[in-house]
Amino acid sequence: MTGRIVGTSVSRARDADLLTGRGRFVADLDLPGQAWARVVRSPVPRAKLSRVGVEDALALPGVVVVLIADDVPDVRIPIRVSFAATEAAAQVLQPLLARNAVRYVGEPVALVLAEDPWTAEDAAELVILDLELEDVSEDLVASASEGAPRVHAELGTNVVHTASTRFGDVEEAFAGADVIVRRRLELPRQTGVPIETRGLVAEPTTDGVTVWGAAKVKHFNRTATAELLGLDPGSVRLVEVDVGGGFGVRGELYPEDVLVPLAALRLGRPVKWIEDRSEHLVATNHSRGQAHDLELAATRDGRLVAMRGEHWVDQGAYVRTHGVLPTLLPSSHLPGPYVWEAFELTAHAVLTNRTPVGTYRGPGMTEAAFVRERMLDVLAAELALDPAELRRRNLIRAESMPFTYDLGPDAPPIVYESGDFAGSFERLLDEAGYEELRREAGEGVGIGISAAVELIAIGPYEDASVAVAADGRATVRVGVGSLGQGVETVLAQIAADELGLAVEAVEVRHHDTGDVADGFGSYASRSTVVAGNAVALACRALRERAAAEESELAGVGEVRARFERAHPSYSFGAALSVVSVDAETGRVRPLRHVVLHDVGRAINPALVEGQLVGAAMQGIAGALSEELPYDATGQPLARSLADYRVPTSEEAPVFETILVEHPVADNPLGVKGAGEAGIVGAPAAVANAVADALPADAHDVLALPLTPQRVHALVTRAGRPPTE
Amino acid sequence: MKAPPFAYARAESVADALALLAEAGDEAKLLAGGQSLLPLLVHRVVRPTHLVDIDGLDELGGSTRDARGLVLGALTRHAELERAQLEGRERLLSLAAAQVGHVPIRFRGTLGGSVAHADPAAELPVALLALDAEIVARSSSGERTIPARNFFLGPFTTALAPDEAVVAVVVPESARRGTAAFAEFAPRAGDFALASVGVAALVEDGRTSGVRIVLGAIEATPVRATVAEDLLEGEALAVAAIAEAAHVAARDCDPIEDPSTSATYRRALVRHLVRDALRTLRGADA
Repeated sequence: MTGRIVGTSVSRARDADLLTGRGRFVADLDLPGQAWARVVRSPVPRAKLSRVGVEDALALPGVVVVLIADDVPDVRIPIRVSFAATEAAAQVLQPLLARNAVRYVGEPVALVLAEDPWTAEDAAELVILDLELEDVSEDLVASASEGAPRVHAELGTNVVHTASTRFGDVEEAFAGADVIVRRRLELPRQTGVPIETRGLVAEPTTDGVTVWGAAKVKHFNRTATAELLGLDPGSVRLVEVDVGGGFGVRGELYPEDVLVPLAALRLGRPVKWIEDRSEHLVATNHSRGQAHDLELAATRDGRLVAMRGEHWVDQGAYVRTHGVLPTLLPSSHLPGPYVWEAFELTAHAVLTNRTPVGTYRGPGMTEAAFVRERMLDVLAAELALDPAELRRRNLIRAESMPFTYDLGPDAPPIVYESGDFAGSFERLLDEAGYEELRREAGEGVGIGISAAVELIAIGPYEDASVAVAADGRATVRVGVGSLGQGVETVLAQIAADELGLAVEAVEVRHHDTGDVADGFGSYASRSTVVAGNAVALACRALRERAAAEESELAGVGEVRARFERAHPSYSFGAALSVVSVDAETGRVRPLRHVVLHDVGRAINPALVEGQLVGAAMQGIAGALSEELPYDATGQPLARSLADYRVPTSEEAPVFETILVEHPVADNPLGVKGAGEAGIVGAPAAVANAVADALPADAHDVLALPLTPQRVHALVTRAGRPPTE
Repeated sequence: MKAPPFAYARAESVADALALLAEAGDEAKLLAGGQSLLPLLVHRVVRPTHLVDIDGLDELGGSTRDARGLVLGALTRHAELERAQLEGRERLLSLAAAQVGHVPIRFRGTLGGSVAHADPAAELPVALLALDAEIVARSSSGERTIPARNFFLGPFTTALAPDEAVVAVVVPESARRGTAAFAEFAPRAGDFALASVGVAALVEDGRTSGVRIVLGAIEATPVRATVAEDLLEGEALAVAAIAEAAHVAARDCDPIEDPSTSATYRRALVRHLVRDALRTLRGADA
């Protein structure tokens, strides 16, 4: 491949439209005769539900119908991620509407259909729920215990899965170690909060239904919706219009994704549903809520020996489409980019009476990086070693690649195929000026670093087709999702180079399951890797066919290709954060954040940098301000963006990005992923920087977010009065 | 997040607005800039039966000076206060207004709205209390003037009768002299303050008098830290005096507690902000 366009920062095709208000989001779509849906949600975290009274709601003029559990199929939202499906998880999947019991605040109980959204919301208030309240367990780890109130009585426990990951002989390694550190670390619930909330418009067709508002995994959702509604998959069409962010939470299959087309079919008229922000914060997947007990063993001279840990992952009240993936991912990321003699990690998937959980940008890997990197700094302090030096002595070296942790016969190995972890880390330190920063940092300023690996490019495969028309324009079809990240531009760059065309001459079609036969969608930093290579292969096949037939490119018709990936791979990243901490107020100001990522090969450097910076900002917010707390009675406390503190530009530090390009051999383009890399190491680096800024005896920064009040408490607990 | 049903009327004049208000009864609300009312409406936290829209009434805008002092119309926007060329202690209005929400909010939100809404975390009520300002309230049956210290009764609760509207705020003439400072702590730029402090004083020959230290977002209403004020009365604003006043203000206040902010933390913020504001006051005078 020539790389004429690949490797350049082509502007996103849609930027001008989106910036000038000409985007077309699902809320902009109105169909003649549409009814509006409003979901009636449980106001309590746990109760028996003996009756849903709809009479008063139905009596309100403008109300069309109110659907309750008895009116909809008794089906469950399926697990999409098959390797994270377990027998127990399959028993606690979510119904379309609550039946006999409610299990979290925000659980759908009824669906009101009305002539306008105001009436729908008025009527929703008139739906009467007969609820018999029950106790909830307020603490994640306590929920896993024997006596805890059960989220699903029939399961007999709240622990829906336990998995162990083992490498080497941990007992022996710990027995021989000089130094052992052990802490409990906690991460709060968070969510992705895309600017655009979820929304759907469904219209009945002659043989099925068309649904606008899809994102992320529209082909899976198409098939699942059809199955749940008893329709042929070919008669359900999902269409993606402009999408205002995804971050892993938007575009999964939720109860509303089935209820809205069901209502359209039932009424024989279009139905529109737009999630509001208050709903979003209790209805859309949460993520991150975890507690980790982690123990590290090392030699006196700073060589890591072994890691032993147990963690509890809050899965919420039902297992959703990701299965127990949120529980599994931390274990495969805790060892990280370091050499260990042994590790043993036990993970528990725990049900709680809270919003169900899925993946959010950098799932499991971000939590693992925070937990491990924070502990490395605790260990470094114990050993009186510079945190950078401790990492330097233990990072996997380039000559060890490919590097494998063999996890035995029952689990796939962790394989790092390429990269120079130690060398890249040195580059971060050099370019950020680590040594000078250490020398110059004044009182109240802290420097934090982190290194991590990121799982990228989950398969199994992606199909692409390409055809060149007589006018020389190419049409590429591939089943990815555009979430605002610019994937269509990147794919057009790849096709343009492969075909020798201008990037403007390539149209990438991915929006419509009626137009693109199949696709796995956009998640796990996979689109450029899996779909990008499929597009490259299809273009190459088209060129070869044209050459063989001695034809013009336009003469050979549509050519298809598949790019398969049996195993996902890992990429390396590292971050350095500089923060200031005001001891009097506890306010942490991120001053500077440097993020390094091995992207394999940057197809569009500006878009990669955009991904890194955006993701890093989300990670910083996760470290400092964002959380979805619940009170002791199970009520969520963050119900608007006044409470869920997404940062503004005024909270942003100066960002610097360092793109490392160690191409991988296992795909023709040599690319790794980029969508999540910026977030993975960010909370770890920021938390380490905060700890570094605090007095030594306030060093136990073990829970996020580091809100002003929490940091203030750490400072005061250390007995350091505010300086005059 | 769609508002519940309500009747809407656009007032043609203040007299019209007051008549509509009287007619609509206890559950009517005046709508001005809408920056607090509309979010509360769409969250269905408030459910007024009637909205009387006064946002376009010219007679409630603008400011004048008369024998009483500076008379600010109820529809004075925060952005106008922020940009006004005020002197002496009156500057506290600009300093406080600049801390309200974000820029677009300040262009719509109004002084009268902030005062009538009486959010414990609001900035302008702090300034009014520190300036010994008065609120002019009018109903169909007449007009009365209520000192700021008697106006704020509790969270979102004021001395206004259901048929009364805030038509103006009067800042006494004496506020044209002296100095003022405002400090607040909010988790993010534009957030509701977790604590705010307005200070105002006359400083002559290095001695302060008429000291006001007012705390916002700490108790149910803005409150004066009177013991701390007395400590500084007639004194120079020396480092030790400032520290002592900050300590006393923090010690004597009775902070509200909510799930995300403890009383202990609010107290720490008071101490910090009082000191910060008093230091600024000293600097402004020098």
